[in-house]
Amino acid sequence: MRSALPRRLRFGLALLAAGFVAAVAGPVFLPDPNAILDPRGAGLLPPLARVFVVQLADGTLLAGEAVHRSGDKLMLWRAGTWQELRLAEVQGVTRRLFVAGTDGLGRDVAARLVAAGRISLAIGFLALALAVLLGTVVGLLAGLGPGPLDRALMAVVDAALAIPLLFVLLAVSAFLGQQTTTVVLLLGFSSWMGVARLVRGLTLQVRQQPWFLAAKGLGLPPWRLAVVHVLPHLATPLLQDATLRLGDLILLEASLSFLGFGVPPPVPSWGSMAAEGFEVWRLAWWLPILPGMAVALVVLAFALVAEGLGELARGEA
Amino acid sequence: MEVRDKKMLAAAFLLVLLVGCRRQGPSPAVQGAGPIHGGEVVVALAQDLSSFNEYTGFSESTETLILDLLFPSLLVEQPDYQLHPPSFAPNLAKAWEFSEDNRTLTLYLRDNARWSDGRPVTAEDVAFTFRVQKDRRLGWHGLEIKDFIEAVEVVSPTVVRFRYSRVYPYQLMDANDGHIVPAHVWGEVPLEEWPHTDFSKLLVTSGPFRVATHLPNQTLVLARDPNYWDQPKPYLDRVVFRILPDVSQQLAQLFAGQVDLVLMVPPREAASVKQDPKLELVEIPSRVWGYVGWNNRRPPLNDRRVRRALSLAINRKALVETVYWGYARLANGPIPSTMWAYNRNLPVLPYDPQQAQALLDAAGVRDMNGDGVREWQGKPFTIELLYPGVNPLRAQAAVLIQADLAKVGVAVRPTPMEFTAMMARQEAGNFDAVLSAWEEATKVDLTSLWVTPSPTTGSYNFIGYSNPEVDHLAAQAREEADLAKVKLFLDRAQELIVEDQPVTFLYEGIQLVGISRRIKGADINPSSVFFNLPEWYVVP
Amino acid sequence: MTGRLVRRLLASLLVVWAVATATFFLVSLAPGDLATKLTDPRIAPAARERLRQHYGLDRPLAKRYLAWLSGVVLGDFGDSFLYRRPVREVLAQALPNTLLLATVGLCLELILGVVLGLVQVRRPHGFWDRALSAFSLTAYALPTFLVAAGLIWLFAYRWPLFPPSHMTGLLAPADPWTTIKDRLWHLALPAITVGLTGCGAVARYLRGALLDEQAQTYILGALARGASRSRVVLVHALPNAALPLITLLGLSLPFLVSGALVIEVLFSWPGMGQVFYSAVTARDIPLIQAVTILVTAAVVVGNWLADVAYALADPRIRR
Repeated sequence: MRSALPRRLRFGLALLAAGFVAAVAGPVFLPDPNAILDPRGAGLLPPLARVFVVQLADGTLLAGEAVHRSGDKLMLWRAGTWQELRLAEVQGVTRRLFVAGTDGLGRDVAARLVAAGRISLAIGFLALALAVLLGTVVGLLAGLGPGPLDRALMAVVDAALAIPLLFVLLAVSAFLGQQTTTVVLLLGFSSWMGVARLVRGLTLQVRQQPWFLAAKGLGLPPWRLAVVHVLPHLATPLLQDATLRLGDLILLEASLSFLGFGVPPPVPSWGSMAAEGFEVWRLAWWLPILPGMAVALVVLAFALVAEGLGELARGEA
Repeated sequence: MEVRDKKMLAAAFLLVLLVGCRRQGPSPAVQGAGPIHGGEVVVALAQDLSSFNEYTGFSESTETLILDLLFPSLLVEQPDYQLHPPSFAPNLAKAWEFSEDNRTLTLYLRDNARWSDGRPVTAEDVAFTFRVQKDRRLGWHGLEIKDFIEAVEVVSPTVVRFRYSRVYPYQLMDANDGHIVPAHVWGEVPLEEWPHTDFSKLLVTSGPFRVATHLPNQTLVLARDPNYWDQPKPYLDRVVFRILPDVSQQLAQLFAGQVDLVLMVPPREAASVKQDPKLELVEIPSRVWGYVGWNNRRPPLNDRRVRRALSLAINRKALVETVYWGYARLANGPIPSTMWAYNRNLPVLPYDPQQAQALLDAAGVRDMNGDGVREWQGKPFTIELLYPGVNPLRAQAAVLIQADLAKVGVAVRPTPMEFTAMMARQEAGNFDAVLSAWEEATKVDLTSLWVTPSPTTGSYNFIGYSNPEVDHLAAQAREEADLAKVKLFLDRAQELIVEDQPVTFLYEGIQLVGISRRIKGADINPSSVFFNLPEWYVVP
Repeated sequence: MTGRLVRRLLASLLVVWAVATATFFLVSLAPGDLATKLTDPRIAPAARERLRQHYGLDRPLAKRYLAWLSGVVLGDFGDSFLYRRPVREVLAQALPNTLLLATVGLCLELILGVVLGLVQVRRPHGFWDRALSAFSLTAYALPTFLVAAGLIWLFAYRWPLFPPSHMTGLLAPADPWTTIKDRLWHLALPAITVGLTGCGAVARYLRGALLDEQAQTYILGALARGASRSRVVLVHALPNAALPLITLLGLSLPFLVSGALVIEVLFSWPGMGQVFYSAVTARDIPLIQAVTILVTAAVVVGNWLADVAYALADPRIRR
């Protein structure tokens, strides 16, 4: 009897689960990713930094590393000097911990990483859905249809595969303007070819199976053949391929955002966070590294799950 | 070893030490000797020259810096525009005089100025340059500068005469604008073909340096021109411009000693540069001022009260402090406070969100449905704020403006754009607001920005500002000969503009230059970073 | 076989044409045209109109397309706005640089990948196998910009072994040996980045293929005849396992070229990628079109060449 899931699969799923928890729970426990907090006093803080946040009567927030009372004044060590504040103006003093530090505007990096992760994953999923849908349809048509159709469709697939992805993505982005929808569409259209090839190959194998020939002999309509008799056998390989593909799409989206042609900036993205971080890497090396590692971990997780699924399938077979 | 040998050895040892020591330290004789000839300076540049020909290129400020070194100008503008329009020092022209009626200017050129191919620089080149500048087909953006110059005559190879259609304070400046280009080489190319001619193949220059190597988008190497008339300068053998689009790379290489000069240190990094003993931070008050340009043609932004409200609602002081780390001043009006024409009595707009709210209410932009966002004609009042995406400082400013205006119920959507796309939308008038900056020329002329744009001439007045009184004042200031009266016109115009708030004035820039201490003799001033580059020298 | 290859070639050319046409029409969708780009706003509208006439922007779309296409076929892509030179010249300078980086990077990728694969196969599921497997997977998952940045920081600033950017540090032509050394040193970090990010896939593939091959009967036969383990792997299994590597390489060409884009930008390497990036940021339309077409052509031809090489290398197909 099978004792446990392959180790890779377990590890990958564990990573994904952690990510999922972060994505869901993050917004609850972490501050607003777009909230600016005193760029001079709380900007570019390292991970695990703690600051005192002083709220003034007019709503302004000032952040500093140390506070103490001095008579009727509050002294705040901020941006390299002691600042004097009249106690009468001070509404409150709190302490904040930044798990992953802050960026140039004092925004919480952990919160932004989670927010960016949700965006990246959402875009990845949508693009994947597009790719899988289109690829499966094309693959089924090629696999089940007449020879000429198969050859024609495969020619299209080969052609599409040859187009240099990043170049076209950049060019289109540049001309059509940066919009999230454009990015999703482009990513999806860049990825369906692999799915099509896979589906076609599998369909061709299924075609030769005796039970399929029997079903075909019964005179069932092609779409029924496809959906009821072919698709179920594609499920597992497709799942494995899709998982890996999702990782690739996220990687591609990160590169695109890094170059400045991904989702438009008020929306955080790991790639654009890394690009912003590179501008100040000498002062805050963690700013470009953390988003990069986030991308790597997510892609790794998907790759592990994909390989684990593969092992599982091979074990069963 | 015998004692005698030991003593000899000791003596020899001491001798070696002494001699060695003397070679190591800088001897007093060398220190007082003055400039050292030779060596090179590496400058980091964000982008390569668009063209060696300023009459077909983009005239971006760093391009002018480099072209200054390659092509001569008649005179050198001095950095003294704080008290009066700038004065001039001789350069290609060693002397000049105005006629009695001031309608004619005669310039006496030096006779030892040479082009890099050996030919002398003559009045013919000056006349040729003038024809290029005035050519309407070529369309040099500085065309209007030469409006009042009717003709340029060659009196002799070293004497050239400018004739003016009127007398006004900027006659010398207008004559000087634009570098002199080689008639004997560039004159061979018909002017219609200039926009798509590659002038790097026709490079004949005259100046302290000439182009030794140009690897497009990589490096530009200028080598000392032995024909330069002001011998023994330049002291440097070479100036190398390394193209590094990424500022953090520029800084990394500055700190590593691979680059000697960074032209624009981001304010955040200023402290690091100051702390480094090998480097120096030079602060130059620049004439660049940043603003939020509201589309004056688009309701409700066409209402003065709305614009004033928006200006009041933005905490400009905090923005300048935050984004520029103290390396900028609050801007109050269209003319930077470092210039002679600045109206010192301009009212300073405070940060007053309360008043802003009142003004918005009065103008009819109100929050009807209580969702926190004001409506205009039934729709939520949202402003799309365009800014050049590559500039992180603008990005920060945009986010801060968004936060400030949200507090008074105005929604702002910061939209980064590619620079040309942004320009296209500006020109088409297809925008709500832009976050941009302007460099005021040393010649104070309100015409390009603040005068009602006419259909026949181009203009930078994208926001569509139109105030007939300002138009009138600007025209008068342009043509008036008496400087005192010019100041009066400009003062009044500034008052009116500030009242109208066609834009929200944000900051006046301070340029931060990071320079290696091995460079000596540099006078980095507001006129140009390379103001006296021929006098720079390096110590090993 | 020849017939199939010829058909593939024709199909490839069709692809290039399709991409070229697409870029042309894409450009016309873009807001703001080239006259905006080229000129100062203060220019008189009449002068701007004249410029448009020069660039043929006032002619109908179909005519412009045909004129442009015939130019492209002859290799004339027009003038670059950004560089004020014929696009042909700009690309002629950039292309060899990208080819250099791509070739060296690819070689590194192959060598690293093959070495890794071979080491892993010595003792399957052993410590090294699992460790290197993890390494390959990590290398695959890391975004290129992270690897590049890491290498720059480590080996150009922290321990200044290599130059951090650009292709050459020489300011004047020098003797061949110095030039070569200078080039190699500048090539090191970018090429290593390419190699590192790609070797994972090669290693993983080769490991799987080698293991599959080793299960074949002919291997057993060779071992029975007394051949040593290493000889069996290197001489018998590797060539067979490596065949599909050719296709893998061909398929990875697009990724190589695209990946090189990020690398070229980060290292300021003056290749097609960096030129393209500058062109896109500056909306230099002729240059964008030209690079897209050329890169597509390179990839397509590369794939086709991989096909040919595979056909030549596999004796089963040749028959």
